Amino acid sequence: MPYTLIKPMTEEYQVYLRDESRTIGRAEAIAFVRNEAELAVVLAKAHADGTPVTLQGARTGLAAAAVPNGGLVINLMRMDRVTGLRRDAEGRFYIRLQPGVILSQLNKRIADKRFDTTGWDDSALAAYAAFKEAPEQFFTPDPTESSCSIGGMVACNASGARSYRYGPVREHVSALRLMLTDGQILTIDRGQVFARGRRLTLTTDQGRRLDIRLPDYTMPRTKNASGYYVKDDMDAIDLIIGSDGTLGVITQIEVALQPLPGAIWGAACFFERESQAIDFVIKVRQELDQVGALEFFDARCLKLLRTARAENPAFGGLPAIPEQRTCIYVELHCADEQEAARRLFGLGEMMTACGGDERDTWVCRTVFDRDKLIFFRHAAPECVNMIIDQRKKRDPVITKLGTDMAVPDRHLKEVMAMYHRDLEALGLEYAIWGHVGNNHVHVNVLPRTAEEHGRTKALYLEWAKTISQLGGSVSAEHGVGKLKAGFLRVMYGDDAISQMTALKRAFDPKGLLGVGNLFAPEGEGR
Amino acid sequence: MRIAVCIKQVPSTNEVRMDPVTHTIVRDARQSVTNPFDSYAIELAVQLGQKLNAETWGISMGIPATERLLRDACARGLDKAMLLTDRAFAGADTLATAYTLSLGIGYMGGADLVLCGRMAVDGDTAQIGPELAEHLGIPHVTDVCEVIEATPTKLVVRRLIEGGTQRLTVRLPALLTVAKDINQPRMPSIAGVRYGLEAPFVALGAAELGADPAHIGLAGSPTQVVRTYVPERGGEAIALEGDAATLAERLLEIIEEVSGHGRA
Repeated sequence: MPYTLIKPMTEEYQVYLRDESRTIGRAEAIAFVRNEAELAVVLAKAHADGTPVTLQGARTGLAAAAVPNGGLVINLMRMDRVTGLRRDAEGRFYIRLQPGVILSQLNKRIADKRFDTTGWDDSALAAYAAFKEAPEQFFTPDPTESSCSIGGMVACNASGARSYRYGPVREHVSALRLMLTDGQILTIDRGQVFARGRRLTLTTDQGRRLDIRLPDYTMPRTKNASGYYVKDDMDAIDLIIGSDGTLGVITQIEVALQPLPGAIWGAACFFERESQAIDFVIKVRQELDQVGALEFFDARCLKLLRTARAENPAFGGLPAIPEQRTCIYVELHCADEQEAARRLFGLGEMMTACGGDERDTWVCRTVFDRDKLIFFRHAAPECVNMIIDQRKKRDPVITKLGTDMAVPDRHLKEVMAMYHRDLEALGLEYAIWGHVGNNHVHVNVLPRTAEEHGRTKALYLEWAKTISQLGGSVSAEHGVGKLKAGFLRVMYGDDAISQMTALKRAFDPKGLLGVGNLFAPEGEGR
Repeated sequence: MRIAVCIKQVPSTNEVRMDPVTHTIVRDARQSVTNPFDSYAIELAVQLGQKLNAETWGISMGIPATERLLRDACARGLDKAMLLTDRAFAGADTLATAYTLSLGIGYMGGADLVLCGRMAVDGDTAQIGPELAEHLGIPHVTDVCEVIEATPTKLVVRRLIEGGTQRLTVRLPALLTVAKDINQPRMPSIAGVRYGLEAPFVALGAAELGADPAHIGLAGSPTQVVRTYVPERGGEAIALEGDAATLAERLLEIIEEVSGHGRA
């Protein structure tokens, strides 16, 4: 009966043709696998038939990596078990997960210290007993969409606001299992297998040897989720992280946990002028070590939120947004409340030094206030989605158009000026928010017509060129998927793309996995 | 003019620990927060304080760590805070708590307006407000959802009643308990947090308040908690199979079995 795992893509499965990017794909069949054995059966069939396979998690991605481009969809959300805990010699905890575990549920289980331990071995149970007695722990990566899957996070090397302090998912992944299209398994523990220069040899659990020549491009020294991670003498595990579902199927992930800071306080700081806010960001970055997140909301974004609050009951719970034009959200991660208070007052002084007023702030120190600020921070993308969905009804060509580019610190002011100048010159409606601490803001254009949609795409391609020349990254956290594949070619050039294609072939000789991800159709991105 | 807001420390989660002997909630500083309903009363006090040029006080009966929450209320705009703290207050029911709070309000020189949240999320009694008003000998209005007019001598308010609202005028001094949604509690600013840490704060025990030992704490509480327990869930899921007609028939039988009613 194994082939009943593969179901024809009938009406009831249409939702699996799209993701949060609002892109709609096509597929002939779908399989919801529950374990490696089922996955092996499905992959064997696809491999034998030469059917393209698109891997899918929670479909919260913004680059359409999970949107199928024909063939078979393998949805991994039923592989959703926490399979164990480990404690290393230094007392650090690691948690083993199947790819379909949802981030918000994982966070809750960690906070509650409550796991279903069915099937755990003795060492995992012993680690669990120690975990229950240990100080509170947390998994640091915090993408805005917490309903994402762990597998998806690893596939696109996701980040979040707190990546400013703790780095992207990559830095927290300690082990992976990857099933190749021929059913063989690669088990990779961090710190065990390294490249020699740009040569990497991997051996599957079944004994097949993969000799891989790593592409010779140099990655930008910014936050980056664009294309394969390659570096001289790199750890093999880093090649898999961020590979956008193009090399194999991640079936198990081990991530490291961190002790939760004694006090996490947030402050939303409002400024009259964007220039003051950017000066504040630069000052905070230089002078304050305890910053967990450093986020930005421009005047247009705040206006959007004010309107939503006034007009839409769903946004009625937003705090009354002050009249100032720019907001910087700073999250302090401190040992205790005394230290947090000192740092908070330091922030107030920095605000004053940059022309702001510490009375124009919201401080969150309690669970309830934190919920309000989380709502505030998440409301911007929600507002944009709602507006886009409305406009899409008028013209189906219109989709959400958000950038994900990052630049080195020294270019922050320059790119912010470029964004405003170019968008205003074209008369586009837009809002900007994002991770300003990493010089990584999301420009979101709200096209009113198909023509504006087209102009925006052309503008983004120009920006991709400029950002690449400044040593930046065309995708800092969303991954490349299908929507940014053209930008990747701009960023690294044709030779690098050919080398990436060769690398992919070593893992997936038939080229079945993630068709359209990373590699743009001929002509795009030129 | 003086406005006093009653503030209670409650556990931040639903998982409270109970004292095995007294069957009352074990209160410690960890994971405790301001009763969410009280945050609306705090916001109303700040707004009315500004409008009527009144001095605003936060008042609480609780363990010493409650000072943190009172200072947080000052960070959100209250002027001063008073904590009534004494081992002798432990185990108080609503009557003893209301008596103790009335002494505190007396100590501050009385209040023209006393504000409470409609209830606390841990005890869920909604009794403190009315009982405190009786101890103070002032009128009270519960479940206030809007203050329509405010002067130093009277308030015109709207209160929630079943199926609608009621508009009332109340002379001051008076006590209101406020419903959620009466306002949107503000977050403190950095300047507010600075003020909160330095705000005038007074902690008082039973002796300083001149409390009658027979009316405070466990001794002053006519309500004795006999037993507390977590309700057991007795639910059970049954999977039904068959065509629509069979399923509907079987479903009806089950509803009849469970409800104890036969078919009409």
